[in-house]
Amino acid sequence: MRKSINILDGNTFLVCDDRGDVDPSPSVPTGLFSYDTRFLSTWRLSVNGERLHALSVDDIRYFESRFFLVPGEPTHYVDATVSVIRDRSIGGSFTENLAVLNHTDEETTLTVRVDMASDFADIFEIKNPQGKKAPVQAIVEEGQLRLRYRRDSFHRETVISSSAPARVDPEGMTFEVRVPPQSEWQTRLHVRTLVLGAHERDFRDSLELRQARSPAELDEQLRQWTAAAPRLKCDSPSITTAYRRSLVDLAALRYTSITMAEELVAAGLPWFMTVFGRDSIFTCLQALPFTPQLVPATLGTLAYGQGSRLDDFRDEEPGKILHELRYGESAGFEEQPHSPYYGAADTTPLFVILLDEYERWTGDSAVVRAYEFEARAALDWIDNYGDLLGTGYIWYETRNRDNGLVNHCWKDSPDSICYRDGRLPPFPRATCEQQGYAYDAKIRGARLARLFWNDPAYADRLEREAADLKARFNEDFWIADGEYYALALDAEGGQVDALSSNIGHLLWSGIVEESRAGRIAELLLSDRLFSGWGVRTLATDCARYNPLGYHVGTVWPFDNSIIAWGLWRYGYRREAATICQAVFDAADYFQGRLPEAFAGYPRARTTYPVEYPTACSPQAWSAGTPLLLLRVILGLQPHDEHLIIDPALPPGLGRLELLDIPGRWGRIDALGRSRTATDGIPPGSGG
Amino acid sequence: MSDDIEAFFVALPARGRALLPPRVRGTLRVDLVTHDSTRHWYVDLRAPGRVLVNRDVRAADAVLTTTPAVFARLVRGESPATAVLLRNEATLVGDARLILAFRRYFPQPHGTGDPREGAQRRAPHGQAWRERLRARTG
Repeated sequence: MRKSINILDGNTFLVCDDRGDVDPSPSVPTGLFSYDTRFLSTWRLSVNGERLHALSVDDIRYFESRFFLVPGEPTHYVDATVSVIRDRSIGGSFTENLAVLNHTDEETTLTVRVDMASDFADIFEIKNPQGKKAPVQAIVEEGQLRLRYRRDSFHRETVISSSAPARVDPEGMTFEVRVPPQSEWQTRLHVRTLVLGAHERDFRDSLELRQARSPAELDEQLRQWTAAAPRLKCDSPSITTAYRRSLVDLAALRYTSITMAEELVAAGLPWFMTVFGRDSIFTCLQALPFTPQLVPATLGTLAYGQGSRLDDFRDEEPGKILHELRYGESAGFEEQPHSPYYGAADTTPLFVILLDEYERWTGDSAVVRAYEFEARAALDWIDNYGDLLGTGYIWYETRNRDNGLVNHCWKDSPDSICYRDGRLPPFPRATCEQQGYAYDAKIRGARLARLFWNDPAYADRLEREAADLKARFNEDFWIADGEYYALALDAEGGQVDALSSNIGHLLWSGIVEESRAGRIAELLLSDRLFSGWGVRTLATDCARYNPLGYHVGTVWPFDNSIIAWGLWRYGYRREAATICQAVFDAADYFQGRLPEAFAGYPRARTTYPVEYPTACSPQAWSAGTPLLLLRVILGLQPHDEHLIIDPALPPGLGRLELLDIPGRWGRIDALGRSRTATDGIPPGSGG
Repeated sequence: MSDDIEAFFVALPARGRALLPPRVRGTLRVDLVTHDSTRHWYVDLRAPGRVLVNRDVRAADAVLTTTPAVFARLVRGESPATAVLLRNEATLVGDARLILAFRRYFPQPHGTGDPREGAQRRAPHGQAWRERLRARTG
């Protein structure tokens, strides 16, 4: 398999091979995508009928790359007489500057050809290939090729133009070029992706959403984005690299919310380039000390998309926060439920948690007041539709048997929620971390009600409910003989007794009884869960454990960042630092860009972290992970108008400075220094 | 079909703003286009606690354009407004937030039951659990 090269600008992205070519594939997400539709599925360059070979690829910026190529196979190019440079960028549309260089002393005549086509596949059709419902038309126009897909009113177009004269045919463009000695020929190919709405105008024009941006504008915006974030000074090159990479990847994944006309972050390339409730919220939580400006548009997009009615196809209920919104054909024609889809039982409490955490950092009480209506509806949902069985817990069970998700938690693959012996529990299910989020949402909701909503009676009620939930949870989910919390309760109220990373999320939520936190910390760092690169999703002694199982054995950086935050909350600073160090070590093997997940093999067995085969990269909550880990090791916590700084660095890390941390205090610096490797941090201490 | 639409708009003032977040303010015009005419509904959501509806043809913060047949599907709960917009059976000009808020007035699909009833029927332990809880708290 050839190496794939990606460039992106929010939810518009191009995936191609190391020559810059896109070969058509019904089942692999290669090509040019925007708003969940593939606008180019073929983009193939040849010179005199010969494909090209890559000499090198330069990933200049996330939105820009350059390919240096020669015709023919590697054995021929030693004395290449012709070479090719493809210089391309994405900024709303896609531009390629194609140059053919003649290295001889004589004029040369060449036929340059670019094959062009689009299948207008919906991203869901690439996951499950199927025929299109309408034909694609290729229309040859003066100096340009228009590819059109129309199904009833649904209308997408790819318009490709060339600055140099071209012979345009329905399958591409041909250039008969004459290149003088020691000279070059150039053309600029411009590809526009049109989502046509009212009066055949692009919908972004009707809604006044900004779209096309030049590389220079993108460069300037990236510079401003990076400059607004705190500066890191650190003795560890791996942390410095991961930090810089995270900021750039989050910048790359930003796109304009149609609802808010402001920027928020897409979840991950290539499969998840859209709004996901859970991923968006966790990424905002991770990045709050660094890029708080992402939060209002995220809260707004989720608030305006809040469920308002019962709809079985979409698993929608009043008050529920969405799981996933898609813009493509299958969502529009209601073949897939993502318009939006609400199959998540954790996003609703997480929405309240983010609203509170945002105010704690920024002091932006206007946002807390603006979304009071939605936050109350979310808190109500926890106790009514969320509590399917009326037992005081959040339960889930999809009502869409055709294409709904079976698991409405972050581990949403079909086999993720299992008993220790490998059996799968019947529905509905109540996973443990969702009860933790519900507890935290009530505690935080009470704070918001008391301070901003002028409703102390409601605050008292939420706190009583939270205390009651914590007491019941510690009775019903605690597995006495194993001394840990069950992964879930099944429909009979029995414990789903697998040992999983979810117990780390419970620490973050504060639902763990103080006397049990030590045991949970011990288990998280035990060989059963901790691989040496992080905490596995599922313990090695569970029947379904597989080091390459998506949610049953792999290590997820995002999961580990929340677990480390949880250990910090209960004062297990040394254990938190161990996880932070492990994940930063892993990041080093990926040039600072943490993938979605890596294999759960013991660190001693593989010596390097093995990437999960189809992991998304970049992925928002993996990019957010180094940020949250920095917060944890520096012990950053807003308290009233101040920022508490209480560092507990991994041994041997040396010096760590985070300068100009934004918040309600203005800007503040945090400094930390690790103890030497020998004395370390006392276990369970505040460091 | 047009009776459903008329009934929907006429009922809005009585339904009031209880379904809408208080911060949502603005004006929305719905243009229903047939081959030979366009009928307009103008919804004023600017005043606190009040919804005004008339047939004025005035500039609005958001304009939703579609056919009576498609809009009737929305007021009967047969399709969500977002899907109709995604497949371009309706188009929107202006502030997208207003139509997303206005979506709260559309009903659920006909015949949709409360998911809690089915779940509790299929998982009978919930009843015993609730009784145990009552005993504990009572």
